[in-house]
Amino acid sequence: MAVALEVAGVGKDFLIPVIDSVSFAVEAGEFVCLLGPNGCGKTTLLRIVGGLEPPSRGTVTLGGEPVFGSGRHTRKVGVVFQEDRLLPWRTLRENVELVQKPLGADAADRRRTGDRYLRLAGLAGFEDYYPTRVSGGMRQRAAIARALAIEPDLLLMDEPFGALDAQNRRIMQTEVRRIWRETGRTILFVTHAIEEAVAIGTTLIMLSARPARIRTLVRNDGRVERAKLIDDLNTIIMEEVERQQGSGA
Amino acid sequence: MTGRWAARLHLPTLAVAAVVVAGWFLLSWRYGAFVLPSPLAVLRGLVEIVRTGEVWRHTGASLARIAVGFGGAVLVAVGMGLLAFLSRTARVVVHDLLAVLNATSVFVWIVLSIIWFGLSSWGPIFTTFMITLPVVASNLIEGVESVDRRLLEMGDVYRLSGRQKFSAIVVPSIIPYLVAGMKVGFGLALKVSVIAEIFGVTTGIGYAMNYSREILATQMVFVWALVMILVMMTTDKFVFDTVTRRLMRWR
Repeated sequence: MAVALEVAGVGKDFLIPVIDSVSFAVEAGEFVCLLGPNGCGKTTLLRIVGGLEPPSRGTVTLGGEPVFGSGRHTRKVGVVFQEDRLLPWRTLRENVELVQKPLGADAADRRRTGDRYLRLAGLAGFEDYYPTRVSGGMRQRAAIARALAIEPDLLLMDEPFGALDAQNRRIMQTEVRRIWRETGRTILFVTHAIEEAVAIGTTLIMLSARPARIRTLVRNDGRVERAKLIDDLNTIIMEEVERQQGSGA
Repeated sequence: MTGRWAARLHLPTLAVAAVVVAGWFLLSWRYGAFVLPSPLAVLRGLVEIVRTGEVWRHTGASLARIAVGFGGAVLVAVGMGLLAFLSRTARVVVHDLLAVLNATSVFVWIVLSIIWFGLSSWGPIFTTFMITLPVVASNLIEGVESVDRRLLEMGDVYRLSGRQKFSAIVVPSIIPYLVAGMKVGFGLALKVSVIAEIFGVTTGIGYAMNYSREILATQMVFVWALVMILVMMTTDKFVFDTVTRRLMRWR
């Protein structure tokens, strides 16, 4: 399978080293969950992959093109942030249509594509609502529809359900898993919830405490029983938390 | 609309208004028409200037001067806002400049405008411009500073062009601040231009009011004050409130 994303020796320093050195490759169509203790640099790593922040060292390659090269790469990256980041003065449909403009699609095309992904995200009938008029879960669905509407080579999700209540969170996990199956997109999903990662990801990458390294990489292909996987990952994360507290004291 | 007006004029307010008018009658009876003309005299005066059309002539002259001075201030303020948006250095310069303008008294501009423009319409226009500029511009700069960086970052992620980000993210964020600034600015413009009209012009509400005082027609001073209040309240209700409601549809 084609390698969609390659992260090679990426590190980041903010006064102190936050990410030591991280390397991994993601194949097209994979659903990778990035796990790790709080403050270990998961979000920073995601932002580096998305080209929002330059790394202090190492390279990121998207479908063979360097993200931090001399020019802009031609790969499309959609991002779902912790907050929905919808424009409150535009309807859900207008929000989804807006991001297609730089791709050069005409208005009818944008409408068609936008409506298709809004429907896929479960928002049929809510296209003309303003974001303030719908629930937080629906806003996050719209943000997912927006990211999908550019038909991204890579979809980045940064704890997208962090602000939702437990029930909505579970519903959205199932939804994202379904959307992934139906679209076949490559997804990199940051979360601190182990159960969430095990429920939706095909590959789980656990980072160590700061400065981050890859602690373990697990294929979540059903060969290891879920309950056992969750137990093991919980043990690792506790070790990391203790190590961090130990070194801090 | 009628329903809202009826709701606003609720009974306790009417009761207070009745007490004030009654007090006004008593005081005017006690001190005489020169010091405090009766409400009836004021009402008669108002009917009179409406009948002769004088009310439109002076109100129109004042509003025309405000349109030029305040309109100019809004245009320059928008230019300053743009500069502040484009450059951090410009933002600091504009900020400090506005602080100085804000601290300058109306009277400074009135006196200077008499020296610079002589006795002409440019006095009230210039004064209005200088006084309302910092109010509108400060609001705009505040709007520029409040643009949500996270939304701009979203725009970067999806590779919106500078122009697309400007029209889709920046302008809608700033417009409420602009409208709020214009609302306060217009109120100020009306108050300030009227003072400047005392000097050197022969039309306008300020002139009419000062003239009435000179010919000892105190009731006309009250009439023109009433006209000013009505103009202010009408524009607030019918222009600014409507615009604000329109723009805030999505809230």
